[in-house]
Amino acid sequence: MAAQIAFGLIAACMLSAGLLAVTSKNLVHSVLWLAVSLVATAALYVTLSAPFLAAMQIMLYTGGVITLMLFGVMLTDHRHDVGVLNASTRRLPGILAAGAVFGVLASAMLGVGMPAAPAQFDSSTAKLGALLFADHLVAFEALSVLLLAAMLGAIVLARRHDA
Amino acid sequence: MSAFTLTRVDAALLCCAAPLLSFLILGLTPALRRTGRIAGYVSIAFAGLSTLYAASLLQGRMFAAASPPDIGQVGWLYAGGKLVASMGVQVDGISASMLVVVTVVALCVQVFSLGYLHDEPPAALGRYYTWHSLFLFSMLGLVVAPNALQLFLCWELVGLASYLLIGFYFKKPSAGQAAVKAFWVTKFADIGLGAGLLVLYVFTGTFDWSPQAVQLLGATGAAWTAGLFFLAVMGKSAQFPLHIWLPDAMEGPTPVSALLHAATMVAAGVYLIVRTYPIFQAAPGVLVFMTFLGAWTALFASIIACSQNDIKKVLAYSTAAQLGYMVSALGAGELWPGYFHLVTHAAFKALLFLGAGALIHAVHSNNLQDMGGLWPKLKISGTAFIIGAMALAGVPGFAGFFSKDAILDVLLERHLFAPWIALLAAAGLTAFYMTRVVMLALFGKPGHHTEHAHESPPSMLAPLVLLAIAALTLGFAGTSLATAAGHEYAFHLSTSGLIASSLALLGIGVGWLAYGKNAFVPGKIPAFAFVQGIVESSAVDRSFAWSYRVVFQGVSGGVAWFDRYIIDGFMNFSAWLTQMAGERLRAAQTGRVVDYLYAVVAGLLLLAAAGFWR
Amino acid sequence: MPTQAYLLLSAALFCLGIYGVLTRRNAIGVLVAIELMANAVNINLVAFSRVWGSLTGQAFTLFSLALTVSEVVVGLAIVILLYRAHQSVLTDSASEMKG
Repeated sequence: MAAQIAFGLIAACMLSAGLLAVTSKNLVHSVLWLAVSLVATAALYVTLSAPFLAAMQIMLYTGGVITLMLFGVMLTDHRHDVGVLNASTRRLPGILAAGAVFGVLASAMLGVGMPAAPAQFDSSTAKLGALLFADHLVAFEALSVLLLAAMLGAIVLARRHDA
Repeated sequence: MSAFTLTRVDAALLCCAAPLLSFLILGLTPALRRTGRIAGYVSIAFAGLSTLYAASLLQGRMFAAASPPDIGQVGWLYAGGKLVASMGVQVDGISASMLVVVTVVALCVQVFSLGYLHDEPPAALGRYYTWHSLFLFSMLGLVVAPNALQLFLCWELVGLASYLLIGFYFKKPSAGQAAVKAFWVTKFADIGLGAGLLVLYVFTGTFDWSPQAVQLLGATGAAWTAGLFFLAVMGKSAQFPLHIWLPDAMEGPTPVSALLHAATMVAAGVYLIVRTYPIFQAAPGVLVFMTFLGAWTALFASIIACSQNDIKKVLAYSTAAQLGYMVSALGAGELWPGYFHLVTHAAFKALLFLGAGALIHAVHSNNLQDMGGLWPKLKISGTAFIIGAMALAGVPGFAGFFSKDAILDVLLERHLFAPWIALLAAAGLTAFYMTRVVMLALFGKPGHHTEHAHESPPSMLAPLVLLAIAALTLGFAGTSLATAAGHEYAFHLSTSGLIASSLALLGIGVGWLAYGKNAFVPGKIPAFAFVQGIVESSAVDRSFAWSYRVVFQGVSGGVAWFDRYIIDGFMNFSAWLTQMAGERLRAAQTGRVVDYLYAVVAGLLLLAAAGFWR
Repeated sequence: MPTQAYLLLSAALFCLGIYGVLTRRNAIGVLVAIELMANAVNINLVAFSRVWGSLTGQAFTLFSLALTVSEVVVGLAIVILLYRAHQSVLTDSASEMKG
């Protein structure tokens, strides 16, 4: 019962924050509501026996991505005005399209029988680490190269060429 | 000899290979080619070798009636695992005798050229002999071809060699133009051969001319194939109205005219009919057309030949006329008289051209008015030329008499009276204009170049003597050739023969009176003046212009119209369609990110829908 | 909890992201919506990892997180370029690809 209540709270929090993130007229608010939604997701991860991921979620997203986005807001035309223009346009087609996709996804998910989760799940960080650095070592290293490339790419793209 | 025996197929192959080897040697070693005379010796040596191999085929057995041909071939083209065409040699009485004719004339001409072209720079001479080797190889390949596709291939190669040799004096604009014209007119006609091959292949699945293939063709297929083939023959063998390239081709060196444009290449058209004769026999309509067109060409060209002042042009028109005889005879439905005339004509026309070459060499001019009174200075060449003229005129006992008689006889036998009369008239005219040439060139009052004239060197005289002997004796080959074509023939003096030789003697007499004794001026006789007036007026030129305009520009214009409006039109239409579609579709590319995202969502939904309704 | 609950939650979050992507005009707003969608995908991965009792799903989620971060980094760099080129971060201002 406690699990259901926790899930309900987390889901309500996540969805309402997500809704506000995509509807808020202020861009800074929008980014902050995203942060709320992401933290709620981290909470969901905890209930799904993924505490390491929850930590990573908070560190990477709220620590990295949200900060980056706020910097992005400040670096563009709204740096003097916090009440940034972020109005939604053409709402009805957006609602229809998103609703149609939801209908498709939901009917697909409900139409398939799924096994219930097992009661016990040994998901210690040590095992996850072993998996990452043994089975998926090459992918992991490739990922670090990708991150480096993204960093360099961002620098090259955003660099002022006249400077 | 017992350790090494040569089959007839081997001999024919070697016969073809020798000039090819010579062409490759001369073509690939510029240093040797530029030596000129040595290149000539190489070419002559290989041509001589080729002649020996060809001569070795002249065995009695080859000319026995109904002896099957020796065929040696290798598979060449396959379509869907099925053999479509082979390459190789077909040796029988016809091809063996033709091989001998071609190689002997080619050898004579190549030796003759050594003397005739001795003033040419070495590089040009080497080039000349290289093309000669190419021509000889192509012509021999054509002669021995076991199927129509190989024949077509060699046919085109022969046309190429002709183009190159006509344009030998390529620094002269008229020579270049003549080469292009010859190439162009014959190429136009060759469309017929290509199209005929397609018809043949569609109907039979092969390029053979075997009886089975003819059976598969049926009447319709045979008519189409023969008709289209005959278009190519009209081009190559200079039949009206496609004869227009032949007089211009005289821009080439005289030995080239002798070999290509008198004895062998122009005869290739007739030879094509001879080879594919079963197909022609299955197409009676085409045969009738051939008879009349050949007779008309013979008469028409003989009339024009009477008024030409260029000795080579006289001979060129005479060649067209004699080819008309052959075509007409083949159209009458009998194979051997036409082929017989081809062989004798090759000998005496080559002799005439080489003789003319000797005269031209002596006075450095083609014009009959510049010659005159050459007989005392050029006894040997003059005699040879006169022998050739008599053979052409059909004086009894000479080669031309027998073959011409055989042709006329067949026409009369088949009750083809109109062509028969036309050819008789042409025979009389032939005797007349040849007498005119002989009188004007060798006798009469000396021209202003005559005093410097001198007899030709031995390299030019030897071929003349050899060909003169052939022109005297080849008439007796008729029996063998007829047997090879599956026909019994023994010479007997027929009605046509009597009339023709009387007319020939009459023509000679009139010619002698007019140009030898100066008893009368032909221009003063009303009937003759009338004809000559027509010829010398622009009527003939206009008829050439007409045939040029109607036949070439008409057909080419039609093709161009088709190309411009149908082919290009189709292309332009598809381009227009694409452009219009693009104009309409570009509206879809709004450049706004959101619209693309909607497209992504729509695609996702479509995929989902496809999944649901699967 | 039934597995479907997690999946439906993830689908709802994903569709909120789609709505955002389709209606937002500010490029950073679009990035926010894209982050929501990526997050929804991660939820699915973690949920299935739990259902099947396999840690591989979690490992994948880590990779996915890193990829998302890279994407945001590059995306923001592009936003800055867009701003420099058009003095605006509205996506409508970039319409050079109009046919």
